Amino acid sequence: MSKFAEPMARLIDELKKLPGVGSKSAQRYAFHILRASDEDAALLADAIREIKQALRLCSVCNNITDVDPCVYCSSPTRNQRVVCVVEEPTNIAALEKGHNYSGGYHVLHGTLSPIHGIGPEHLRIANLVARVEQHAVDEVILATNPTVEGEATAVYLARLLKSSGVRLTRIATGIPAGSDIEYADEVTLQRAMEGRREM
Amino acid sequence: MRAADGTIHEMALKSSEAVVLRTYPLREADLLVTLFTRAEGKVRGVAKSAKRSRKRFGGALEPLTCVRAYWQDRAGNELARLDSCDVLLSPLASAMDYARAVALAHVAEMLDELLPDREPNDSVFRLAWGVLQALDFPAAAGTGAPEKSSEIWIPVTYFDLWTMRLLGYLPSLEECIECGEPLAGKPAYFHALRDGLVCATHRRIASSEMTVESRALAAEMFRNPVNHFSPERLPTSRLADLRKFLMQIIHRHLDRTLQTSAQLEKLD
Repeated sequence: MSKFAEPMARLIDELKKLPGVGSKSAQRYAFHILRASDEDAALLADAIREIKQALRLCSVCNNITDVDPCVYCSSPTRNQRVVCVVEEPTNIAALEKGHNYSGGYHVLHGTLSPIHGIGPEHLRIANLVARVEQHAVDEVILATNPTVEGEATAVYLARLLKSSGVRLTRIATGIPAGSDIEYADEVTLQRAMEGRREM
Repeated sequence: MRAADGTIHEMALKSSEAVVLRTYPLREADLLVTLFTRAEGKVRGVAKSAKRSRKRFGGALEPLTCVRAYWQDRAGNELARLDSCDVLLSPLASAMDYARAVALAHVAEMLDELLPDREPNDSVFRLAWGVLQALDFPAAAGTGAPEKSSEIWIPVTYFDLWTMRLLGYLPSLEECIECGEPLAGKPAYFHALRDGLVCATHRRIASSEMTVESRALAAEMFRNPVNHFSPERLPTSRLADLRKFLMQIIHRHLDRTLQTSAQLEKLD
C-alpha cells in the first residue's frame, strides 16, 4: 500500500522523473504544490501544458520557439549570412549573453556520440546543408563544445560543408578570461599557444 | 572515517595511471567518473564540482584521456572520491574526426562492459594504453584533411583480438572446432551461434567466411606490438570478417550488442 493518497503518489512519481529530483525532493515539491493556492497550482499546470502545445522547432535553425521562424531567424537587424552552429538551444542564450554576435544560429540538438549510438543521421544537419547549398550563407561558425564529441562533430560538419566553398570557422579555445594560467590543464595550454595572435 | 573510539582515520590517497572511460552527470555540479586504473582495475568515483568548475580537472575527464589519477576510497561507499587527475595523453591533443571518435568510444565501451570492478588487469591496461597511442594520429590534423578512417581499423581490430584473448574468450583460429582439422591455408567459416571457426565440411547455412589473409594478420598480431602495423598493411577486407567474428563472441558473452559496433559497421 502506498504511503500517500493516490493523486499525491502519482504527482511524486511524475516529479521524480525530472533530472536531479529524487524521492525526497519530489515529496517536498508535491507537498509545496498541495499547500499552494489553487491559482498558483493552476498556473503551474497551464505552464507545463503550454510548453508542450505552443513550443516547436524553428524550421530554419531548429531553435525552440513559439513563432516560426524564430526571433533570431526573422530579425532584420541580424546578419543571416553568418550562421553559428551550436549543440543545444541553451547554447544560444549563452552566446547572446556576450552581446557581440549578431548573426543567425543553427541548433544540432546533440553531438556525434558513438558510445550512445548517436551518429550523423540522428543530428539535425539536413537544413544546415540546404541553407549552405542555397548560397544563403557566407560563413559557418562551428561553436560545438571543445570536448571529444563536440570536436568530432565540428570536424564532421567542416568536411561535409567544405566542398560548398562557404567560409568555415571554429570558435577559439584557450585560457578563460579572468582565470590563472597555473590552473589551466595541458591541453588548454597547448591550444592557447597554438591559437596565439599577433599584437 | 570515524572509528568506534571516536578517532578519525583518513583514508589514504591512492594514485595510479588510468584511462577515463565514461562520465555521467551527478547532482547539480558533480560527475560520476569510471576509470580503468592500472593499480586497481575499474574504479568508479565522484569528481566534486567537475561540471561547474574546470579549474581542478580541466579537460582531464574527457573520455579516453590517459591520466595519473588520485582518489580516496570511502568507507562503506563503493564510489571513491576523485581528488585530481594529471593529463598524460589527451585525445584532444590531435585532430578528432568522427572515425577516431568512434574508435575511441569503442575502446571505452569494451573496457567498461567487459572488465569487472576493482580487479587489476595489467595486460589489458598495457594493451589499452598502447592502442590509445596508436589511435593518436596527428597526421589527420586540420579540418580540410580527408577522413582517415583507414587508420583506425588495425588498432581497433588489434584491441578487440587481444582483449578477447586476454579475457579468455577467444577460441583457436587454427583448427576446426568440430573435427579439429587444421585450417592453415584453407577456407574457414564462423556462425553467430557457434564459438569458433569451422572447416568447409562443417559450415552451417548463413555462415560467414574468414579469409586466409585476415587469419594470417591475426596470427601476426599475436606476435607483434600494435605500432608494428602500418595502415598500408590493411587488406582490402579491412579485417571486417575478423571484427565480425570477434563482435559475435562479445555479443554472445554480454547477451546484447555494443552501441559502438553498429557505428563501426557503418564506417566500414
